[in-house]
Amino acid sequence: MNLSKKELSILIEIIYSIVFALIFLPYFYENQEKTLIIMDGLIEKIIQITIGSVIYFSVAYAILEIAFKKKEARDERDDMINSKSYKLGYLLYEFSLFIFIGYICTKFQNKELFNLTGNHELYNNFQLTEGGILFFILVLLAFTSIIKSLYQFYLYRTV
Amino acid sequence: MILKNNLKEVRQKKGLTQEELGTNVGVSRQTIISIERYRYKPTLELAMKIAQNLNIKIEKLFYFSD
Repeated sequence: MNLSKKELSILIEIIYSIVFALIFLPYFYENQEKTLIIMDGLIEKIIQITIGSVIYFSVAYAILEIAFKKKEARDERDDMINSKSYKLGYLLYEFSLFIFIGYICTKFQNKELFNLTGNHELYNNFQLTEGGILFFILVLLAFTSIIKSLYQFYLYRTV
Repeated sequence: MILKNNLKEVRQKKGLTQEELGTNVGVSRQTIISIERYRYKPTLELAMKIAQNLNIKIEKLFYFSD
């Protein structure tokens, strides 16, 4: 398969999103019941993510620039593909946020029901922590980013 | 009606490669390939630039077909 520089740079983004999801999301999943203050090693994790991302993108794009010395012109076809793929990503993100808001509303409603029906154990167990919200938002970002990039890659191959 | 074009034939008659035509009108080779294969419909601005570069009337280069 003969890939252009633009297609390879999209693949770099896809690989980053998948690697990020596989390496860092489990940490946020394990800590989703906690608040940000008591989350163990949060600062270290943020530093790891930042340094890891900078190194990954620097190395990947440096290799890409060495392999493709010629600069590719950005034209109207790129703009069309980008607008289509970013629109899809935006719609997915918006849709997922609505689902999340619906989920929170249902949870609060259930909490009140537990209270009214006298089920105090479940009522006291109810919690919506910062860790949970952070985990959800990160999953959402990784998901929309992967879908957006895959669609962008598909358009570059077919349009 | 489908928008078609004679771009490939005209370009080849003029002895230009896809890369050269792309550079002349400021787009990538991939964009020229997409136009020639009817995968991508260029904007009026790009279509006029291509026609001008190939020294042909735009309506001779791009046309509607049933």
